[in-house]
Amino acid sequence: MRAGAAGAAMSIAASAGPEAGAPAILAEALTKRYGPVTALRDLSLEIRHGEVLGLLGPNGSGKTTFIRMLAGYLAPTRGRLRICGLDVVRDALPARRRLGYVPEAAPVYGHMRVREFLAFMGRLRGLSPAELGGAVDRVVERLALGAVAHKPTRALSRGYRQRVALAQALIHEPQIVVLDEPTNGLDPRQIIEVRELVRSLAGTHTVVMSSHILAEVAKTADRVAVLLDGRLLGVRAVADTPDLEDWFLSLA
Amino acid sequence: MSTLAVLLRKELHATFTSPIGYVLAAVFLLVLGYSFSLTLFATKTANLIYIFHQMYVLSILLVPVLMMRSFAEERRADTLELLLTAPVREIWIVLAKFLAGLTLVYGIYAGALVYAVILGLYGEPDWGPIYSGCLALMLHGALLVAIGLMTSSITENQVVSAALSLGLALMLWFADSVAPLLPAPFDVVAINLSLIGHFRPMATGSVFASDIGYFVTLAMLALFLTTRWLAER
Repeated sequence: MRAGAAGAAMSIAASAGPEAGAPAILAEALTKRYGPVTALRDLSLEIRHGEVLGLLGPNGSGKTTFIRMLAGYLAPTRGRLRICGLDVVRDALPARRRLGYVPEAAPVYGHMRVREFLAFMGRLRGLSPAELGGAVDRVVERLALGAVAHKPTRALSRGYRQRVALAQALIHEPQIVVLDEPTNGLDPRQIIEVRELVRSLAGTHTVVMSSHILAEVAKTADRVAVLLDGRLLGVRAVADTPDLEDWFLSLA
Repeated sequence: MSTLAVLLRKELHATFTSPIGYVLAAVFLLVLGYSFSLTLFATKTANLIYIFHQMYVLSILLVPVLMMRSFAEERRADTLELLLTAPVREIWIVLAKFLAGLTLVYGIYAGALVYAVILGLYGEPDWGPIYSGCLALMLHGALLVAIGLMTSSITENQVVSAALSLGLALMLWFADSVAPLLPAPFDVVAINLSLIGHFRPMATGSVFASDIGYFVTLAMLALFLTTRWLAER
């Protein structure tokens, strides 16, 4: 995968609009209940433009619930969640336009070829026909998908499928990229490639990624937020926390 | 290209690259060809009333199978999460799937038009009931597609989706049979809910606005509920 500025056309300054000045993501007392079960409880968090935030926690801690609310897949039961100043429920469509999302399973349409799938997702995200060809070429190059660009997505290995899923999330140059367990099921080399890609997005994109591997988050994120049983236990800058493991254990 | 057109193109692509549609179309047309020949030789009358009723029954059996994949497959493959987190309204996703399903069902029905052509070539059919019967089938097909979508939207199990859809269609078909057991005004409601009660007049040449309204209203209700269930997550 080619890290760098090739695809990072949209700068944060250029994205200034009516919501200029608002943090990239603002969660206020965010709660999600599934019947009697509370998956996320009173989560308040501010994420700055251009930073990479790692959500760390064991399975069932509420990471995926938070990520799905960010992506607009789940609605909060209580509280507010804003993306670049836009409420994810009330301003759902404009908020989603600013966001690229890779679900944990890295889903793709098996009946489509890679370029076809990327073009479909680009059109769905509002790219014009004039922009589409260039956008597909850009993500194919950035994610090193040239060798499989004309293959059906169902024939791809797990690693390539993950890259295609990342490519569809970046095709419209979103301000915010949300990745749910992006290194799950990848081999060590692929994990390093994903990590490099995420680091290459830092500064120009806000990235929120979840993981249950402390070392992975420490190597990729600028800040780490620890979730347990649906509660946010703490947020720390990785650079200011040399003993990240001790800090995590003290919380958990 | 509008969002609906983008989604519709994707749905048509998925529909026509899956073998299910072709297999069911072949079964539908084979069974229909057999019964058309049999009916024609037995009755020696140039009308399609029997054929319309056979298509009515075959549709109730086959459309749930055709539609069972629509949302259930997207849920199973996790691609529904991609669609629902894209800047797209739920109604466009539902309409695209509805129109794609309708295209397939009408395509299969179009194959049966050959029987009308045969009657026209070798007999002197009364075209009025044939036209109204075609309208009845189109409305019937649209309602079944909408019901199939609705049941597919609530489960990721395709068999459960097909079974629910078939069950709903059968309940509508026989709704009037429980009328004698019900007190007023529920008996009238049951009679008016009957699928066959609204299909039969059109299939035999009598077109009433109330019958058209029945199919359109129920299909719209099913599409509305599908959209609501997609949005409630």
